[in-house]
Amino acid sequence: MRAIRMTTAALAAFMVSTTLSFAGPQIVSGPGADPECFAPWSADTKYMQWPAKSGPFKIAVVNGFVGNTWRIQMIKTAKAFAEDPSMKDKIAEFKVVSTGTDAPAQLGAIEDFINQGFDAIVTIAVSPDGFDRVIRLADRNNVVLVPFDNVLDTDAVMQVNEDQLAMGRTWAEFLVKELAAQGKTSGKILEVRGLPGNSVDRDRSIGIHEVFDANGGPWEIVQVVGNWDDGTAQKVTADAIAVHGQFDAIAVQGGSTGVVQAMLDAKHPMVPIAGESENGFRKLVAQHAGDGLKGISIGQSPGLVAIAMKAAVAALEGNVMPQLISVPLPVADYTTLKDGENFWSNLPDNFFTVNEFPPCGVNVSGPAIMAQSEADVK
Amino acid sequence: MNARPSPVLAGVRHNPGFAIALVLFGALYLVYNMMHPRGFSGAVLIQNVNESVAIVFLAMAQTVPVLMGGLDLSVGAIMTLTNCIASELVIGTPGQIAFGMAATLASGTAFGLMNGLIVVYGRLQPIIATLATGAIAMGLALFIRPKPGGRVDDDISWALTNDLYELVATYGWFDADAGWFQPVAWIPVPLIILVVIAFGVWLPFRRTVTGRTIYAIGSAEGAAFMSGLPIERAKIAAFTLAGFFASCGGLYLAIQTSSGNADITQAGAYTLNSIAAVVIGGTSLLGGVGGAIGSLVGALILRVISFYFRILSIDPLLQPLVEGVVLLTAVSLGVFRTLQVKNRLDLFR
Repeated sequence: MRAIRMTTAALAAFMVSTTLSFAGPQIVSGPGADPECFAPWSADTKYMQWPAKSGPFKIAVVNGFVGNTWRIQMIKTAKAFAEDPSMKDKIAEFKVVSTGTDAPAQLGAIEDFINQGFDAIVTIAVSPDGFDRVIRLADRNNVVLVPFDNVLDTDAVMQVNEDQLAMGRTWAEFLVKELAAQGKTSGKILEVRGLPGNSVDRDRSIGIHEVFDANGGPWEIVQVVGNWDDGTAQKVTADAIAVHGQFDAIAVQGGSTGVVQAMLDAKHPMVPIAGESENGFRKLVAQHAGDGLKGISIGQSPGLVAIAMKAAVAALEGNVMPQLISVPLPVADYTTLKDGENFWSNLPDNFFTVNEFPPCGVNVSGPAIMAQSEADVK
Repeated sequence: MNARPSPVLAGVRHNPGFAIALVLFGALYLVYNMMHPRGFSGAVLIQNVNESVAIVFLAMAQTVPVLMGGLDLSVGAIMTLTNCIASELVIGTPGQIAFGMAATLASGTAFGLMNGLIVVYGRLQPIIATLATGAIAMGLALFIRPKPGGRVDDDISWALTNDLYELVATYGWFDADAGWFQPVAWIPVPLIILVVIAFGVWLPFRRTVTGRTIYAIGSAEGAAFMSGLPIERAKIAAFTLAGFFASCGGLYLAIQTSSGNADITQAGAYTLNSIAAVVIGGTSLLGGVGGAIGSLVGALILRVISFYFRILSIDPLLQPLVEGVVLLTAVSLGVFRTLQVKNRLDLFR
């Protein structure tokens, strides 16, 4: 009702002619389109369907914080994917803005793109709450809003993420397995956590602890906060080694290169390690695996943005979509690391190796992104 | 003609920086609307105002200590703290909602008062004192809301972030479709809130002895002291008022997002942007010149610049650079006053 009243008011006052319908997605039953790529989060995940529109579409990416490698790589991937032959014809207009860590600015940017008549808006939310108003406006205008990476605490929008809990569990399972191979079923573990108060940090840590609690023990897990940042992680690891002497294994949420660097500096024995997907970390694991640095590397991929864009287009075309899309974890360990394939010894340490998702036809690889200059991707 | 010019006109005459900011804002906003596919429409105006309210309130909050020649580094943290308080309290019966809003504003104002007392009786530099109290406010905010969340009354949240039409329709005060109402029905409620608080609180305040003393302290504290002005009272009042404006920002943020979030990065960004807005609005960081209305315009300029990134195709990784260059240009416009000074000593004012 409000939509109609609002429309009349707008018409009366400004004579703006807009067609507002207030449909939004229908809740339908699965299965969804392309389940290889758009896998539902769990058996309980509901399915959504928007009225089909004909393309090409106007798509916007509303990023929050910008200024670390991951976000820059994400933006470059988004731009490259928009130029990809599989997407190019479906996109009429593509815009990327970064609002900084500023909730009103991000909400404002989303609302602005809705006002401008964009068809889909892909976003990394700066806060898991507070999007009620823009969700309402998006539904009213049949705009598909797709939060990914930092997702919202709601089931009213379609979202794309990797399962952080599963990531934590996989890390810990690998460490338990490697330690068992050394004949250790108890000991001291260093856990380097991410940004406090964040759901990603929380879920990864829960996964790690679940597995250690269930397997042997007693495990003494020492927690330090590394903020997913190489510098911070290196410093806190050095401190932890100075205080505790020696750890049997290490689990790092991010800033993994810094953690290994701290181990090398302190002449800490090379022990099993679980970490993120930074190129530097994979280089070090490949180099020192023989000395005992048996590592697993799982990444939150900047390529998630491409899956989110692809999901947005699929939704606009009227396909049935899972409300929460789980992107498979890109896992590599010391046995599968291969230079030039899943890490690159000639490229900088701080870029994220996993960028492509073959089941989704997202083939924008990490080195391709790094190689492209700004002028090339324009 | 009145013998006494209106305070607004006098402000313009005394402070060309404000006039420049006003013209700049007008030009930027006009062009933005002309380029926007739905420019000059109610929906765009509502969106723009909603996005600007929090930073405008913080800019006004920052103005008052800056006029004394100080800086308040806690405004962003006070906004965050009151945002978290509001996300707990602004819900329930109309009475509870009213109490929640009053309590939110009162807590921010009290925090500002504490800042003032520490600066005056603790004899600390404002920048250091508020750096510390800002950390305290963030700590309290995290204590109240360790994880983002909370709830604000849906009707309040919807009605106060829309136009007058929706406000009236939501609460059914009278027939919102009545003919006489249409000419004003499009006005966004947040715009009214901003105008009422800016002109209803700031302008009367600056005409009081306390208000004028704030300017006097910024111009020459020694002279103000020798003239027998109530310096301590003015300093305490300045920080209290800053706390009040910051809590208005926090309350609105809670209403806008229906939630609270003790986001440290966001608090820091708002504090820094509030200082930028104050400077763009024509207030001197040395104190004594400027006013909260100028900062209101300065904050709007800050916002309009970022609006442009959504209608123009600027490389996303170059946007911070472009924003910085435009900001620098905007701030530099204020320097033109140095070209017309008769006495170089004026530059030290």
